[in-house]
Amino acid sequence: MPELLAFQSDFAAALRDRTRTPAAARWLAGEADVVDRRIAIYRANMVAAADKALSAAYPVIRQVVGGEFFHGLAREHQRGAPSTSGDLTHFGATFDAFLASFEHVQDMPWLPDLARLERAAHVAYGAADAPGWDAAALAAIAPEHLDAIRFRWSPGLAVVQSAYPIVRVWTIHQPGFDGAFEVDWQRAETALVARDGFAVTVSDCPPADARFLEASLRGATLADAASATLDRHPDFDLGALLARAFAARLVCGVID
Amino acid sequence: MTAAPSPPHGAGIGLRQPHYREVFERRPELAFVEVHSENFFLEGGASMQALERARAAYPVSLHGVGLSLGSADRLAGEHVASLKRLVDRVEPALVSEHLCWGAVGGVHFNDLLPLPYTNEALALLADRVDHLQSVLKRQVLLENLSAYVECRDSEMTETAFLAELARRTGCGLLLDLNNLYVNARNFGFAAAERLDALDAASVGQIHLAGHDVVDDCLVDTHGAIVCDPVWSLYADAVRRFGPKPTLIEWDTDLPTLDVLLQQAAQASDIAEREAVHA
Repeated sequence: MPELLAFQSDFAAALRDRTRTPAAARWLAGEADVVDRRIAIYRANMVAAADKALSAAYPVIRQVVGGEFFHGLAREHQRGAPSTSGDLTHFGATFDAFLASFEHVQDMPWLPDLARLERAAHVAYGAADAPGWDAAALAAIAPEHLDAIRFRWSPGLAVVQSAYPIVRVWTIHQPGFDGAFEVDWQRAETALVARDGFAVTVSDCPPADARFLEASLRGATLADAASATLDRHPDFDLGALLARAFAARLVCGVID
Repeated sequence: MTAAPSPPHGAGIGLRQPHYREVFERRPELAFVEVHSENFFLEGGASMQALERARAAYPVSLHGVGLSLGSADRLAGEHVASLKRLVDRVEPALVSEHLCWGAVGGVHFNDLLPLPYTNEALALLADRVDHLQSVLKRQVLLENLSAYVECRDSEMTETAFLAELARRTGCGLLLDLNNLYVNARNFGFAAAERLDALDAASVGQIHLAGHDVVDDCLVDTHGAIVCDPVWSLYADAVRRFGPKPTLIEWDTDLPTLDVLLQQAAQASDIAEREAVHA
């Protein structure tokens, strides 16, 4: 193996596993105890980078569990699912699965869904800017073609299903929130994550709307998404949903 | 290799999110602002809008922290492609990367790890820098690192390595004087003597920052004012190389904007005073 690759492999192993330090130390100048302490600085940097990246993506979870515990979560998550990119925006994409399996957060079974909500918000924050479509454009489509259209939704738009009140938990942890803090833990909420200009919005989405949007986001035609929704929610009001969606500039066009 | 237009000689600051609003409202006089490239590998949204506003007001310097040019096993093509998109969008005055590695075997440490300064590493870095400059169609500056360990196999000093890299590839150098000072203290050498290896034309930018002291080690935190020995080193560098675009770099425990502007003004004063003797 070329020397450079051998050095980097040994150094990487020592960062991920302290017991591997001697193999890295043989490449380095200086007394063994000093080298140990210096490698420990890099090991701490590695965890700090994971903490910083996850804190940026999951600020509500950090508030919920506290900074110190969150640092431990970052360290444990990184151990099992290390960063694979020099762009830390991508780190922590599987944080929800980690939280679902990590034994010390099992008393907060809603945490993985909250993580999915925050991930969707994080993605929406950096999604492409796209102007909303005018409702008049929809009116211009010949009625016989309407069934077959597939909407192009605003970049970053996402639906996050949950059996827990994740929208409420997210809302009361937003900066500047000054309302009451009660949470009805029996309530199941589905989050609609969207961009309004440059702001990311999270709202409680009625189950019928969520079903329609999920089908449509997967590329279903208007007719198919509507019938899949009506099968389960006979009182679904497609017209009302579309009016709200156009008003919120969530529809950006149709897919050709 | 065509050199992109350089920012006017003078001082700039790292532009960080908590200062966006104040910078856009006050429009302080700055030669340029610098941001971390990876924070803007996004398609749209508030961050990209802020960068576009900054670009409209100032020359922008894109400073990469995640490319890992020195990884022995691979260069991340998707990272280069993201940087290329950003460079095309922003048309920056300066583009810089670090002389370091940060990933191996598919795991990224998101840190700036030191290389052994060997001929093997030099050949690899020369290939990588050639590739990067040809993809970006512009000169890139390579920055010297702060480090807490050094490789015993090094065959030359870091500055000699950088000087040779510049000679082989036409890249420029981003001379971080705090990093040089941190290493001089951590490894016991005279910082100013290391400047002897560099020629004025290859130095494209200077970074100034603060550091922390942890036990027997100086740690490069970018979280404090520039210390007196680094200001002295800066005066020395200006006498040797002439005035260069100079950045006040501050990333943790961000101070008020005025503190950054004061540090930038101090850099400008020194550059003006010392350039007379250059």
